[in-house]
Amino acid sequence: MTLPIYTADEARDRETFLALMWALSYPGRVHALPQGVDSMPQIGDALLDLETTFYTPDAAIADQLLRTGARALPPAEAAYHFYPSLDDAALGSLAEASRGTMLRPDEGATLIIGCAFASGSVFTLTGPGIKDTQNVRLGGIPARFWSLRKQAIRYPMGWDVYLVDGRDVIGLPRTTMIENGD
Amino acid sequence: MYVAAKGGEQAIQNAEALYQALNGGITLADVRTIMEKMPYLVDRVMGEGSLYAPELAALAIAQTGGDLYEAVLLLRAYRATQPRIAYANPASADTLLTVRRISAAFKDIPGGQILGPSLDYSHRLLRLDVLDAQEDLNRQDAKNAEDAAHASVNSALSAVQNGVVVSDAPAPPTYPALADWQRGQGLLPQTQPQQIAPADIPDVTTDTVTFPAPRAHRLQALARADTGGVLALGYSIMRGYGLIHPTVNELRLGYAEVELAHPVTGATFSAGRVRVSHCEVITPDAGKNGYMLGFAATMGWNEVKLIASSTLDLDMAANEGDGHSAHSEEFVMYHTEPVESSGFCIHFKLPHYVTFASSLDNVRKIAAASGWEK
Amino acid sequence: MPLSDLTNERQDYSYGYLDAYAKRELRRRALKAIAIPGYQVPYASRELPIARGWGTGGLQVTLALVGPESVVKVIDQGADDSVNAANLRRFITRMSGCATTTDTSKATILQSRHRIPEEIMGEGQALVLQVPDPEPLRRVQPDISKAAQLHADADYGQMWLGLYEQLVRHRQYVQGADYPSLVHGRYVMNPSPIPRWDTPKLHQAAHLTLLSAGREKRMYAVPPYTNVYPLEFDDIPFQVEDQTGRTCKTTGAQNKFMNELPQADGTAVYELSDSGYAEKLKNNVATALTYFDEQGNFYHDGYLKPPVRPA
Repeated sequence: MTLPIYTADEARDRETFLALMWALSYPGRVHALPQGVDSMPQIGDALLDLETTFYTPDAAIADQLLRTGARALPPAEAAYHFYPSLDDAALGSLAEASRGTMLRPDEGATLIIGCAFASGSVFTLTGPGIKDTQNVRLGGIPARFWSLRKQAIRYPMGWDVYLVDGRDVIGLPRTTMIENGD
Repeated sequence: MYVAAKGGEQAIQNAEALYQALNGGITLADVRTIMEKMPYLVDRVMGEGSLYAPELAALAIAQTGGDLYEAVLLLRAYRATQPRIAYANPASADTLLTVRRISAAFKDIPGGQILGPSLDYSHRLLRLDVLDAQEDLNRQDAKNAEDAAHASVNSALSAVQNGVVVSDAPAPPTYPALADWQRGQGLLPQTQPQQIAPADIPDVTTDTVTFPAPRAHRLQALARADTGGVLALGYSIMRGYGLIHPTVNELRLGYAEVELAHPVTGATFSAGRVRVSHCEVITPDAGKNGYMLGFAATMGWNEVKLIASSTLDLDMAANEGDGHSAHSEEFVMYHTEPVESSGFCIHFKLPHYVTFASSLDNVRKIAAASGWEK
Repeated sequence: MPLSDLTNERQDYSYGYLDAYAKRELRRRALKAIAIPGYQVPYASRELPIARGWGTGGLQVTLALVGPESVVKVIDQGADDSVNAANLRRFITRMSGCATTTDTSKATILQSRHRIPEEIMGEGQALVLQVPDPEPLRRVQPDISKAAQLHADADYGQMWLGLYEQLVRHRQYVQGADYPSLVHGRYVMNPSPIPRWDTPKLHQAAHLTLLSAGREKRMYAVPPYTNVYPLEFDDIPFQVEDQTGRTCKTTGAQNKFMNELPQADGTAVYELSDSGYAEKLKNNVATALTYFDEQGNFYHDGYLKPPVRPA
């Protein structure tokens, strides 16, 4: 039997997943998504298919995500949310995202959010995946997001967040505690 | 020594080679023969393997020398590599191309009792004369291979040439469901077909089962269940731990059209026919006026599995939680899963010396502390 | 657009055996498992071409992770050359073209049944543990629906009661391998049937651990740098298997987890259970730091305590 082919699609999807996995395993550290693709639709390709649901306010991203076979649903019902940026409307949708149940905390939503790592305040992170503390500079995230996140987390319920800046991704699982140490 | 110091890799290759050598090679003709001559075996493997692919099931049987658990695993493992590309329309009883359909509840039923192909009333005598005809062995080959793709239909046709009395008028292809008549009589509760998107139907092959399980999970699990496993548990109920004596309301063997919506035009078309069977058992509903039904269906024709499964289905609905294992959905669904149960059973052949060492450490410490170790 | 642009080259199996849908599902679940340390994420668990109960859970995770640049080590009871480890390794590389190794330090993915290696694993390494029974509560609650509710309520009272009963009867904890452990202060998990010797290695580890039960269809994780404590009462500390006085017959190593080999004359000799580590010692290859040093001290000071027997 010949070796199965490592197709370009498989390579992109796998490398995207690995970036997300390590980003979530070491919160606050920057990991790189594969080159030459738009990050948000690529994360969609890696994670979504006809068994999943998503919400995004961005029409262009929605078009691309629909190609995975995933269903577009209102924010309260969608498992994966994609926000290129967080304006008031986006925050309103995001506030409705599922945080799972005590019985099924894994049904808490996954949020993929565009931001900027070069600017903004410095935050200090602690929690699983972090040896002692991890500092991270995050721009383009309104303060209200952090209070919404805090309200959403009733551990083990909560959201898991991937912050994306170009090809770079940072993971913030629900276990990560965040302090603004500006 | 099976945890080999070095050479573990060589050892497993040799073990497989020896197994293959003792069983002889397999050929396409072997696979075709199995497909044509052992349709019930192929059906059983397809049902438990939950993949309708007679040729692959026959290959799995040939490749494993007829070790059914291994054959089912081969088919399941192959199935796991196949993406789901579409959802077929539901097939209902009154649209099945029915070849056998019987009810134990009434002497006659609308549409009639259709005995169809069955060994039920045969004398179970070995046909020793077959063994005398040595020359038969020599002229099987060419003709069989030709029509193998339509084996099941062909065997029905060739039966016609083997002494079956042929009627002048063809039998109707479809028959009404007896349960519909009973619903009309108010003997069974009315049901409304649930409108549900195919992707939203709970799917036991992709969801994790939790309890109480959705009915879809239960019926799917029974459809894939180990024939021997559901028989053992179903028999325990029939024999004295539950319903005691279910009545077979309707048992059907037939062919279902696999109807799909064309991805571009949306028109419905048939992608082919599959052998299916289903069974209902009925019992008075203790809580209400009327009756309740147990149901099971599977790919292929497997009557013993379906009578046992539909009995379990009914009994789990009627007696869940009363303490006997065969009434418990969790117990039945988990322990009749052929791949998991057989795999776990044979995994005890694997070395466990680390876990054993861990318990040994405790036992020795306890012994030392209580002073009965020298 | 020509039709050929829309089609892939025909092949018998997808890369990594599983089709894209199966891999995506495993990957989604793995991410949730990492996000909720110790929580058992239900997953579909496809059948694989090896028997259930032989590592199909771990294998599915490995197949979802593996790529051509991966370096994979597979061990069973600590041994790379055990027949089952050899078989899994052969399958993984046959389906992915990855490199294989027996050297813990060189592995990017380490799939294991019943052991964690002696050498300290580092950041960026993934340890995949095969799990026969993911449910620590099964000992006290065989019904998985009820057990799931106990996890939801963080109600581990029956576990503690069981431990207490062990102390009353035996004046020590008698759970052997697969010692139940509290992860990130929230979920009790089965660490898979690793010996107690290995359980502390999960605590504040640099590497990622993914645990997967194929037959039971549950996946869970211990992320790096996460607290993992074996269940123990404050005054009666948990104990690892006693390895004192045992010397490996081939390498002379001490204070590592040893296989005991009964001899015809009624005695026993010992050898290192971790065959990759033994191989390095034998060939005088530099080894990484080990979780337990030559004197048997664990690398997180104060985590393991001397034995105390209840009065």
